[in-house]
Amino acid sequence: MDDILQIFFQECDEQLQELERGLSALSDGESEHETVNAVFRAVHSIKGGAASFGLDNLVRFSHVFENSLDGLRSGRFAPTHDVVKTFLKAMDVLSDLVNEARGGAAVDPARVAESHAELAAINSTGGDHDGGASAATTEDVIPVDFSPVPIDFEPVAADFEPIPFDFDFGEETPAPAAAALRVTFHPHDALYERGDDARNILIGLADIARECGGEIQITCDWSALPPLADLVPDKSYLTWHIVLPPEVSEESANTVFDWVSEDCDFSIVRESAEDEVPLEQDGEQAEPAETEAAGAPPPEEERTAEPPAPEPALPPPVEALLPMPVAAALDLHPGSTTTPPPATGAAQAAARKPEQASIRVDLHRIDDLMDLVGELVIAQAAIESLSRRTDAAGQHELVQSISSMQSLTRDIQDAVMAVRAQPVRAVFQRMQRVVREACSMTGKDIVLTLEGEDTEVDRTLVEKLTDPLTHMLRNAVDHGIESTEARIAAGKPAEGHIVLSAEHRSGRILITIKDDGAGINRQRVFDTAVKRGIIPPNAVLSDDEINNLIFMPGFSTAATISNLSGRGVGMDVVKQAIQSLGGRITISSTPGKGTIFGFSLPLTLAILDGMLIAAGGSTMVIPISSVIETMIVKQSDIYALPDGSNVISIRGDCMPLIPLATALKLSDAPSRDSLDASIILVVENESGARAALIVDEIRDQTQVVIKSIESNYRQIFGVSAATILGDGSVSLILDVSALVASAIGHIDSKPSNTRPELAA
Amino acid sequence: MTEQIELKRATDPKIVKMIVFAIGVQEYCIPILSVREIRGFEKTTTLPFAPPYVCGAINLRGIILTVIDLAIYLNVPPQPDNPRRVAVIVESKDGVVCGLLVDRVIDMADIDLKDVQAVSEEGSCLAGLVLVDDRMIGILRLDTVVAQLVGDTVSE
Repeated sequence: MDDILQIFFQECDEQLQELERGLSALSDGESEHETVNAVFRAVHSIKGGAASFGLDNLVRFSHVFENSLDGLRSGRFAPTHDVVKTFLKAMDVLSDLVNEARGGAAVDPARVAESHAELAAINSTGGDHDGGASAATTEDVIPVDFSPVPIDFEPVAADFEPIPFDFDFGEETPAPAAAALRVTFHPHDALYERGDDARNILIGLADIARECGGEIQITCDWSALPPLADLVPDKSYLTWHIVLPPEVSEESANTVFDWVSEDCDFSIVRESAEDEVPLEQDGEQAEPAETEAAGAPPPEEERTAEPPAPEPALPPPVEALLPMPVAAALDLHPGSTTTPPPATGAAQAAARKPEQASIRVDLHRIDDLMDLVGELVIAQAAIESLSRRTDAAGQHELVQSISSMQSLTRDIQDAVMAVRAQPVRAVFQRMQRVVREACSMTGKDIVLTLEGEDTEVDRTLVEKLTDPLTHMLRNAVDHGIESTEARIAAGKPAEGHIVLSAEHRSGRILITIKDDGAGINRQRVFDTAVKRGIIPPNAVLSDDEINNLIFMPGFSTAATISNLSGRGVGMDVVKQAIQSLGGRITISSTPGKGTIFGFSLPLTLAILDGMLIAAGGSTMVIPISSVIETMIVKQSDIYALPDGSNVISIRGDCMPLIPLATALKLSDAPSRDSLDASIILVVENESGARAALIVDEIRDQTQVVIKSIESNYRQIFGVSAATILGDGSVSLILDVSALVASAIGHIDSKPSNTRPELAA
Repeated sequence: MTEQIELKRATDPKIVKMIVFAIGVQEYCIPILSVREIRGFEKTTTLPFAPPYVCGAINLRGIILTVIDLAIYLNVPPQPDNPRRVAVIVESKDGVVCGLLVDRVIDMADIDLKDVQAVSEEGSCLAGLVLVDDRMIGILRLDTVVAQLVGDTVSE
């Protein structure tokens, strides 16, 4: 059960993505039939699955959603901007409901009700276009009880209490009829197979009854129910007899069955006119199909097998409702009939964490991997046989074999990465919602365009991108894009535009967030930084350095703290998050035109290209991405500073000279004379600050697998992780930005310089 | 894990299997359940800013762990060039794996915890002393050692 539920939630995520994609397409004006169908299917699948697990809230909401989408599908109304907007909102609610079912935060019932009413309103408008039965469509929506009170299986809660939500559809009083309306309802197996539930119908009927101020009486006829041993779990055995108050019109009762008319037998009759005859007939007609299992009912069954008890069964819903979810669950799990599934479902949902423990992978990627592993086995056999040969030719072939094995290893590595790779779509589409919500909070009108959603990155990265991107987009909405009035005054279109794009660029992924807002007001940033004591008032900064000030902890130019941003914690958190992923951030901003933020991230967190160097007697790895150049020092380029440290001038650029072994306290500081002709690496940190590292030797360039050192030890300054070299020994991966930052901080202790802040 | 075992068994006198090893002339023991394996001492990779008792890091089948030279840690004169030096790979109850470099592993002993004589200090790395065949054996409190290894602030 747990596993299946887990799969259901995964599918929900996929369906929600599908839904989002479809709705975005609709809002872009692509109202093709296929798109509408895809959207419809997505909601329908969620509803179906949810019904199997007894997730009532989810079923009810998705049912309404689906009904409204059906209006779109059947062309009752067009996907106008407002309609799509309502659907998008409903999708957000739906996704929250899924999350709630998974054990996440409870959804505010008011939001559900609001979206519910909007969907209903759309549907009823559609009905008007239809040229008639607006009452019918309206009531079609009402049946699904959308009160936040969960209908569970205790008698009290199952009682149809008045729902706390107020309808404003106008009093559609049906023509008063003298006699009560009798409804017989027998669902076919197909109804459950579609993921629907007889309960929905009963709830629907109860609602229309209440709408008319009456009560309903439901009697369950379980005469067809076989003994437990003979029970086929996915068969439908039950028939209901429902007595509706006289005020209810046949028409409105009919609408309840609109959705399921092919999947059940039902009859609606006025009691006085026909009495019970046709109803009984219909019941008999329905039953023979299922009676094969009802061979020898035990005594208890016989007692209840009397003709539909006309006793006013109060509270009848309990009897009527109880068997249904069991049947639905049996559908999936024949044999485990002991526990009522809704209870377990809820408990499991509560225990679940939102993290995904599994991924879905295209089969062909696994096949590719398998092929490569096959080749690896062959290559290994070849090497083994070659290694036994002693002649020179054999030696030569061996070397060749090994080098082909090297490329094979790289291929396998790529294939495994491809298995772990996921499109950034999942994160990007979530951003649509972030922007939508931020827009409604700020009252701005902003369109987020996504580009390159199919760009694939390692899944750990995908997950870790959510928070920084959320921050960035909220910032873009709140600070980046101006208010509508300001935009119009500046001669820009009233609607703001943000483009979120992803692309691969030279072995890294580049994510850009581009807005067409006012750009960074550098003077204001500078003034604020001075006011907050981040930089001294007389600092001279380049534009780029000023831009980077927004990433300083505690920096915020927002005059007021809004719900969205302005506390001054956002941007430095973003920077830290991106840097911890091995990425860097670039900003380019044109006043009046907008700002572009770029995140450049490694494709994977597991492997990096490194340069093997030796210092202080050990071999270490420097990420090759941070190495700018390597060279041999000339004594004349070195300038000693009074505190004993040195700076070096490389083609006119001065940067601190760090003897690596000394910086890591592996050896004493070298004397100035010994620096001549030593090997240096010019390295750069994320903010572009450079330093020169003195190393003993450059050994190799290789790919290394990143291993955590902190899991069994503590964090070490200047070391980001470790790796294992070919000979099995441990080698440390250096944290270049920390080394550079400390070196710069070291040298820049003079007041006039502001660099330490920038690099900190 | 060891701590729990020790505490539980201290109230409920039971025999605990301990592995006994020597550092210098002094013998120490730790519960055998916390030992993962014993391997020959190999070359370690020096770690920057490490306290003096940390020999360095080694690779244990893909896991990187640090080796503590217990002789330095316990302030016992080490015996360099001792061919019987081995690293006892242990796992603390928090799941931290590390190696303890000892001069030689002697044997295993069943130690009745009610014979253990507690030593004074609470946070000390010694949980107590016990007499086995007239030899005084110190019971090492592994979690204290590991906590120091993991939690020590970097001394620059």
